[in-house]
Formats: sequence, C-alpha cells, structure tokens
Amino acid sequence: MTNKVRDLVCGAIMLAFGIGMFVLAMGIPHKIESDVGSGYVPKFIAGCIIVVAVVQLVLTFVRKSPSDQVKEKVFDDAAGGILTIVLMAAYMMIFQPVGFICSSAIYLFAQIMLLSDKTNRNPLLFAAVAILLPVAVDALFVFVIKMPLPKGIIGF
Amino acid sequence: MIATALANVFNPMCLFLIWFGTIIGIIFGSIPGLSATMAVVLFLPLTFSMEPTQGLALLVGLYMGGISGGLISAILLKIPGTPSSISTVFDGGPMAEKGEAGRALGVGILYSFIGSILGIVALMFIGPALAKVCLLFSAADYFGVAVFSLTIIAALSGKDLMKGLYAGLIGIALSMVGMAPIDAVVRYTFGNYQLMSGFDITVLLIGVFAVTDIIMTGFGRRGLSNRLQQKKYHLKGYGLSVVEFIQQLPNAIISSVIGVAIGILPGIGGSTAGLMAYTAEKSRSKYPEKFGTGIIDGIIASESANNAVIGGSMVPLLCMGIPGNTVAAIFLGGLQVHGISPGPLIYQKSGEYVYGIYFALIVASVCMLIFERLGLPVFAKLLDIPKHILLPIIMVMCCVGAYSSNSRVFDVQCVLFFGLLGLFFKYFKIPSTPLIIGFILGSMFEENLRQALQASHGNWSIFVTRPICCAFLIIAVIFCFFTVRGNMKAKRAAEAKGEVLDTAEEEG
Repeated sequence: MTNKVRDLVCGAIMLAFGIGMFVLAMGIPHKIESDVGSGYVPKFIAGCIIVVAVVQLVLTFVRKSPSDQVKEKVFDDAAGGILTIVLMAAYMMIFQPVGFICSSAIYLFAQIMLLSDKTNRNPLLFAAVAILLPVAVDALFVFVIKMPLPKGIIGF
Repeated sequence: MIATALANVFNPMCLFLIWFGTIIGIIFGSIPGLSATMAVVLFLPLTFSMEPTQGLALLVGLYMGGISGGLISAILLKIPGTPSSISTVFDGGPMAEKGEAGRALGVGILYSFIGSILGIVALMFIGPALAKVCLLFSAADYFGVAVFSLTIIAALSGKDLMKGLYAGLIGIALSMVGMAPIDAVVRYTFGNYQLMSGFDITVLLIGVFAVTDIIMTGFGRRGLSNRLQQKKYHLKGYGLSVVEFIQQLPNAIISSVIGVAIGILPGIGGSTAGLMAYTAEKSRSKYPEKFGTGIIDGIIASESANNAVIGGSMVPLLCMGIPGNTVAAIFLGGLQVHGISPGPLIYQKSGEYVYGIYFALIVASVCMLIFERLGLPVFAKLLDIPKHILLPIIMVMCCVGAYSSNSRVFDVQCVLFFGLLGLFFKYFKIPSTPLIIGFILGSMFEENLRQALQASHGNWSIFVTRPICCAFLIIAVIFCFFTVRGNMKAKRAAEAKGEVLDTAEEEG
C-alpha cells in the first residue's frame, strides 16, 4: 500500500468511526434540564472526527508529494505477527478457565519458540523459563501481594 | 506534614522500593526496545495494594532509573535506550569509539544526578507557587486549562497534525465509554455491564505501550537474533577530575534549566530537552567544532537536561492534574488510584504524599548515582538478554498487571484490544501519546464544560468573560498556531529532501 492509499484508507476508517459515534450519540438521553446533556460532548467529538477525516481525505486526495508513491513495508514478517496475535488471544481465552500458571506456561513456551530462530532455539531452556516464571509470579501474588491469580479447573 | 512524609519515605520498606524501582528502571531504560514508560506501566498495578507513599516511591524510582538508564546503551551500543538519550549518542558514541566509554558513562551518570536534583529543587519552589494561583480557578477556568492542555496533541503530532488529532479525539471518545459525569447516563457500553465503569487507564496504557510493541516484535522477529557489538569500557570513579567537574557546572545548570522549562511545557519531553540543551551548549561553547567528536560537554548537556525534565513535568501534574508527557500521564493514574487528586489543593489535602514524592525523588536520584555506577558491569551484561525470551515474559507481566488492576479477566482481554488498536495506529502512522492525553483530559474537558454551563445557565459567554479561562483559550490558540506552523515547516523540509513523512517520536 502506498503512503497516499494508506492515508486515504485511514481517513475513510475514521470517517466511518465518526459517523457511527455520532449516530450512537443521538440516542443518549437528556436528563437534566439545565445541563447540555450527556450526549452533547460525544456529538461534538464525533463531529470533530468527521470534520478532521473529511479534511484529511480532501488534502490527501489533492496532495502531490514525492513520498506519496512510496511503498513502505511496515510488517516484515506477517506470519510471525499474526501468530503472535493468535497466541495472545488464545492465552487470554484460557487465562481464567485453565488458570494463570498453566496458561502462562503454555503461552510463554509457544511465544518464545515462535520468536526464536534456528540459531538460538533451546527448547529445554525455554521450557524451564516457561514453567518457573509463572510459578514465581503466582507465589509473589499469593504470598507477598496477597492477591490470588486465577486458578482454573486444574486448581493451580 | 513534612515530618510525616520524611518518616514515610525513610523507612526500610520504602527505601527498598525506591532502590528496587531505580534498579528495574535502569534495566528497562538501558535495554533498547524497553522504556521508562513500559517500566512504570508494568509496575503500576503492583502499587495498588501498597500504602500510597510506598506505591508512589516505587513509581518515582522506576521513572528516575528509566530515564537515566538510557545512557548505558546510548554509549555502549550507540543506540539510545530511551528517546530521552538520543542526544547522548552524539558524543557518547564517538567517546566509546575512542576507548573512553567508561569516562562517558561515569560523566553521564554524575550529571544525570545533578540534573535530577536541580529539577527537584525547581519543583519544590515552582509547585506551591503555581498551586496558589490555581486556587483562583473556577469550572470555566479548568475548561480553559483542559482546552489548552489538549493543544499538547498538536505538539505531539509530529509532522502530521491530522493523525495526532485522530489519536487525541479517539482518546477522548474512549474516555466517554461508561457512565457520564454529572447525570451518570450510560454511554457506548453496547449492553456490556463490564464497560459501565469505563476503561481503566492502566489497561489502556499496558495495551498501547507494551502489548503493541510485543506484537510489532512478532512482525519483525527475523531481526531479533542480530546481536549488536558492545563496546568495552574501563572506569575509575566517575571519570572526571574536580577541576573538570567545576568547569562543567555552568553547562549542567543551563542545561538543567532548559530541561525544567521543557518539562513544565506540555507535550515536549526528554528527547527535545536533551537536543535543545545540546544545541544551546554547542552554540555557547568556545569549541563548537568539537561537538559530535566525543567530548564530555555534549553528554553533560544531554543528560542534565533529560533528567531535569522529571522535576519539571511534575509541576503541572501535581498542581493542575495535567500530564506533560507519557510517563507523567501514567504517574497521574498512580496518584488517582491512591485517592490523591492532583490540583491546587493537593498541598493541603495530600501534603504528606506530595512531600513524600519530593523525598522519594531525592532518594531515587542518590540511588541512581550510586547503584547505576556500581552496577554498570551487570547493566552492560543485561544488554545481552535475548529479546525472544524477554518480550514474552513482559507479555505475561502485562496480563498480570491488567488483571490485578480490578481482579477481572475482562481487563486482560481489553489489553489485547488496546494492543491491536496500537498496532492499527502504528500501521497508519498515528502517534499513540495523544491518545493517552485525550483519554485523561477527556473527562476533565466534559465535566468542567458542563459544570460551567450549568453555573452560567447555559450562557457560553462565560468562557470569554472569565479572564483566566479567556487567557488560557487565547494561549491555546497561539500555541496551536505556532506548533502547526512549525510542523508544516518541518513537513515541507522533509518533503523537499524527499523523505517520507513520519509522526512524532514517542517519549519515555
């Protein structure tokens, strides 16, 4: 995606967001007579987003800059990034049902393996880190901070 | 109050927390990719269960250590550990090349300490005076202050004002989720009762500043194993003689004054302070041609200024509740969690905690001076910790931090949501600091606007007839005008050189 296309897409997304926010703000009830109401500022902010988005879209459309056609590669390794997000989402899904220690150990091992490469891959060390760190953090929270973390169905 | 604050800070537990915070801060500051912001964000939830002075002392240590730690990698790797240390590389790097890395490190640590102390002294004198002035403020005046503070967004937007405005407006929009001020009307919850209390600032900060970086590492994992060549160093004492120390004092004082002034001004932080002090010292020097070739003057200017910013940034934070930079914004979250309301009455209502912050800053500076020097071999070694192990550990700590803020898994899930929002910002080159400023100032803006209009029976002229409010609105317009003009000049200059437009550097 070139810089110009990216800015146009950004403007379009923000315009849609602003319109959505404004429509939802229309439904906010006005309770106190002497007050401008809880919907006033949301409508104002949504209006500002719409105005900024329209201005940006117009300016980007008419802009003629040498940097417009530059294609920047923001993400070098799409697979690595998407897998990282999937791992994080899975970790957060199992955080409560499986418990902090187990879910963290699984996540840590998988994430470290994902970020490592052939030159620095050491599964034994990674497994040790993945198990010892959550146990130490859990102990810190239970015994020092006195705030237990989720135990899950396994009980730890 | 001063005696109580002294007793609270100078007890073994509090001193330990300051020491611990400073050491951890130095570690976070010294490792490129981690930052003072990340350190303070991660440890903020841990302070919830602590006594207020102890919690704030830990945050103070992290802030102080984080800003100072950046000089280690700036000199040994020629990569600033934090944006604040950018200008330290200019002379620190060449000094390391010449085999004087140890001397550069020693000088950097010593003058970081001097800058910090001068910043704290400024805070002690300016803070109470500003608080007295702020006592005269009404709701309309605070609205003016909020509008002025929102112009920080213009300063933080770099060369693309529109993108900065998006971030600030989205931040304000996010602050509106949940119950509205004054009439408690529920907004934008989409039927989810967990959103009734709105988003937690800690969760937003962890998501945008820590989780986004970890996701970005996933997208750039191929470069993770590339180790950087570290320079060897040898250091005795702090690397300079008494005569040199005295000769450099004017440089340190002028640079610290620049740092304090930049810290007080909204939206500009350590990196700008360091660069401005460096430029000022270079133009003042009798041998400007030597700057950039490896002389201690440049390091002293940069490090004195970026550490003096800490004291300066605390002035508007404590007296008006306005965070001037990202770390100050997180610090504001810490104050609010402990029931301390920043504002002109803070010296009367929470004086013991304010003085506690002063003493904690002083102790943290001393800790930094002693332990950053003593621990240099260890900190240098830590630069070798593999990122593929470190970052997943930080992710786990992020989730623990989010969970402990309200003991609910919903916050852990919100961390990923904000991490993805941060990723969206990175992709579209939208700066994320204005998002935080907007989120914090959004409620102040709305509450004071509505209160002022209620008091004036809906008469909008109150905002121009109240002199203080009117003055702030005028200053906001002028500030915006000059910032936008400066941004446009920089943008045109970048385009003329054929460079790709970018957004602001993140502070911290």
